[in-house]
Amino acid sequence: MLGYTILAGLLFGLYFSLVGLGLNLVFGVVRIVNLAHGDFLMLGAFSAYWLFSLFAVSPFISVVLVFVGFSIIAWPLYYLLVPRLMATKDPEMLSLILFFGFSQVIEALATIAFGTSDRSIPGRALHMGPCRLFGQNYPASWIVGAVVSAAAVLFIYLYLYHTTKGYLSRAVMAHREEAVASGINVNRVCAIAFSIGVGLAAAAGVFAPFIFGSINPAMGVNITITSLTVIVVGSLGNPLGTVLGGLTYGISLMFMQTYFSSWANLLAYVMLILILLIRPSGLLGRSVRYA
Amino acid sequence: MAMRKIFFIFFVASLVAVACRAGATEVPKQIKIGTLYASSGTFAPLSMPVHYGLKLWVDRMNAEGGVYIKAYGKRIPIKLISYDDQSNTATAASLYDQLITQDKVNILIADAGSVLTSVALPIAREHKMLLIDPIGIGAPFFTPDSPYIVLIGGPVSTIWCKNIHEFITDEGPKLGIKRVAILYSTNDFTGTQANTIRKAIEKSRTGIKVVYDQGVPTSTTSYTVIINGIKAAKPDAVIELGYPINDISFLRNLRESGVKFKWLFTSYPGMETEHFEKTVGVKGLYYVYTDMPASIMNYKAAFGMSLPEFHAAWNKQYPGGKVGFDFNSVVGYTTGLVLEKALGSAASMDQLALRQAIVGLSGKLKTLDGTFAVDPKTGAQIGETMPIGQILPSGKDGIKLIVVYPKQLATGKLVYPAP
Amino acid sequence: MPRTMRHILVALVPVAAMALLPLVYSNQLLLFNFVVFMILAQGINVIYGFTGYLPFGYFGFFGAGAYGFAISIMHLRMTPLPALGMAAIAAVVLALVLVPLFRLSGAYFAIANLAAGLAVYQVVSNPSLDNITKGPYGISLPAVFDPNFSYGIALVLLAATMMTVIYLRNSKFGLSLQAIRDDAVSAAMAGVNVVRLRVMAWLLSAVIAGLVGGVFAWYISVFYPQTVFSLDFSIFAIVFALFGGMTTILGPIIGVVILYGIYNLIGISTPQYFELVYGLLIMGLVLFQPNGVVALFKRWGIDVP
Repeated sequence: MLGYTILAGLLFGLYFSLVGLGLNLVFGVVRIVNLAHGDFLMLGAFSAYWLFSLFAVSPFISVVLVFVGFSIIAWPLYYLLVPRLMATKDPEMLSLILFFGFSQVIEALATIAFGTSDRSIPGRALHMGPCRLFGQNYPASWIVGAVVSAAAVLFIYLYLYHTTKGYLSRAVMAHREEAVASGINVNRVCAIAFSIGVGLAAAAGVFAPFIFGSINPAMGVNITITSLTVIVVGSLGNPLGTVLGGLTYGISLMFMQTYFSSWANLLAYVMLILILLIRPSGLLGRSVRYA
Repeated sequence: MAMRKIFFIFFVASLVAVACRAGATEVPKQIKIGTLYASSGTFAPLSMPVHYGLKLWVDRMNAEGGVYIKAYGKRIPIKLISYDDQSNTATAASLYDQLITQDKVNILIADAGSVLTSVALPIAREHKMLLIDPIGIGAPFFTPDSPYIVLIGGPVSTIWCKNIHEFITDEGPKLGIKRVAILYSTNDFTGTQANTIRKAIEKSRTGIKVVYDQGVPTSTTSYTVIINGIKAAKPDAVIELGYPINDISFLRNLRESGVKFKWLFTSYPGMETEHFEKTVGVKGLYYVYTDMPASIMNYKAAFGMSLPEFHAAWNKQYPGGKVGFDFNSVVGYTTGLVLEKALGSAASMDQLALRQAIVGLSGKLKTLDGTFAVDPKTGAQIGETMPIGQILPSGKDGIKLIVVYPKQLATGKLVYPAP
Repeated sequence: MPRTMRHILVALVPVAAMALLPLVYSNQLLLFNFVVFMILAQGINVIYGFTGYLPFGYFGFFGAGAYGFAISIMHLRMTPLPALGMAAIAAVVLALVLVPLFRLSGAYFAIANLAAGLAVYQVVSNPSLDNITKGPYGISLPAVFDPNFSYGIALVLLAATMMTVIYLRNSKFGLSLQAIRDDAVSAAMAGVNVVRLRVMAWLLSAVIAGLVGGVFAWYISVFYPQTVFSLDFSIFAIVFALFGGMTTILGPIIGVVILYGIYNLIGISTPQYFELVYGLLIMGLVLFQPNGVVALFKRWGIDVP
């Protein structure tokens, strides 16, 4: 039972690394908390739902379409919102409020457009039965989520460490002022990070109907909160940190569900607080958080 | 001094007389019904169908020239005043107050669900307004110390699950069910059911044991390891109690992990069958036991539309599936019908007279929602209990629902253990 | 007239207005919600305005107060006024437990505080604590239900909160806090005890939320854990305070009057676009008027304290 719990936690946690990845990138590079993160995920989920129900597009294709589509949408959105925000006295704090408002707007528009009913994509869309690992069955969607997540992490890793833009992103992440001083177009670097971050959130959403069973316009808030847990537990700006955060979250959630199920949600919050206090830089981070 | 006193008494008496006469003859141009709904947030999926069901009734009444009110001896058009509380309780509270104090509604109908109903309770009581409660079934609402609430659309939470534990204790021993697992979401609705079922099984002296008994947060949407834990307890029967999102995730995870239980009950596949066919998939519903609510049972209603007529009217008025047809749609419509019957028999428009009229329908009124029965002391709904059904495969890719319990209502033979 | 005296007179205006309004407007619950948000917005003002720490999980104190009140009534058989004292104590205890969060800065504090609020909610609503908190099954306090009395106490609390803010505006304590907010290192070097002052502001703002949570529980008397542990309370209070203007005396009040007023107007007139309009308002606020309307008044030459 323990072995099953741990392996399930690993798979589930890996999917949550994907869920948190975009938020982490945006916070790391742009230094804003995108509280509408979960709502972008919801929009990605609905896009996949409509693509499947209207045109029978497989989730494996929609994940690419959704990623590209949302990255493109996020580009003008960045220039509409963030430069103005950056001009205020305390952009990091005010971003929480700005993007909370934005999340309300998205949820409202989604409710007007899609209604309040829960929707889902049938499990057969993945064309797989339960997967056997070490003699036990796991849902196919968890395996798929984990694999896609691993691919996304690899993509971000390659971007950050093996491209010029990625190099600049890391420079902005590490020392924003110096990056500005050395003539880096910080706004452009941030816009790219924001676009990728939003695209990743939406891409994670493509698998949400399978992982969560169903989707509805109000689901965003909980996803955002879970993502915050994942990225804080890992550490900011480091995609591998997010993986570690996701895995820690997944395993501990599954552990709690197995042994103390009614307290399952508590652990994530307590863990977040404790990790912030004991190891403020996250499990893999540099120290940047002390007041 | 004495003169003054006499004059004063005369004055007051004449005022009262005038007021009474005014009350007796003045027929309002319209009757105001006030209600709330939640178009977004946690309670939206529950609230909107109830609200739309009620609205459908209002529209049909108004098309006929209004609802017949015995106190005035004629039909009077309805003005429905409804506000959106966005699933926020503080907002809901001030909007209930708005309906009573500013809009001065004649009839107050609560939003759906216990949380949004709860805040209306003290307000209705303070203003001596009868709270017509469509489906806020929380047991603590109904006490003998206040007459200002009456539950219309479904049984109070303590007897909501009556047929589940009666099935287990009556039929269980015959089928060979000895070990039961209970999994519930930790909220008022399903938590109360779990408590009731657990107690009933323990009290039954049938030797049936509860071998797994766990709550999970209501926001839970992944059940794979929990299912694995239940499997490890080797139950003969599994009862999963949750909201629709919980049931959907549970059933999908169950199918995806390839685990099979001999006997599995979940509430919502029956209440929202179409929805579950779309989200869980037909195969994931095979052999599941479920509540058989009004939206399937096709009870012969004493008046109003029959179930197929209502379903057709719903699809016509609300096309596009943004708010799906389900049990809660029936609840909303039934709330209107009960009101219609009560207004047609209440001697006056006084709130307590209205309550008396509603309570007077107990046992007599057959609705789409089953036999209506209100406990006159507390206002709790004690009728309308839901039989247990089983979902069986039908044809190549279809399902059919049969009633399996109570015995006298059974329409088919149950399949145990599930293949 | 000395500045403090003038401030006190100005502060009495909203209190008096909220005391008189029930005589002409009968939706007392709406007025009560206004008072609740005025107090909460001032509580946010104390901590966010004067220290720069954004308490996203402020609802945790509100909920702790509501449950502190309810538990004292149910189990300790207290009358409402002493039970309000317990509400304050519950909030203070929670605030003390969370003091270490001040080691975190910026968004980390906000996120950790949010997690703390949610953690308290998870504990209070757990069915294992049925005997103490009634778990998820909800609280009902019909015996102490008294809307007029509790409304009166809410007004007293509003007055007290206003006085607290006036004190912060006009005392060395408040000035030191602002110095810490603007530059903690320099303030420490100038001999300000940074940790002690921050913790005091934190406790003060927790007491305010705890008390108003207790009064809220008293007034509505029937509620579920998710009623009082609702993120909406944090968000609304923060947005209202920000809209009016932080570190001012009337700003948060003006914010509540305008924004919560609009909120209710939209809610009653065009509910279908309610959430949309509200979200757009919040975004517009941050993008175009991040220093609040009081700053706008100042630019027009109207001095609002």
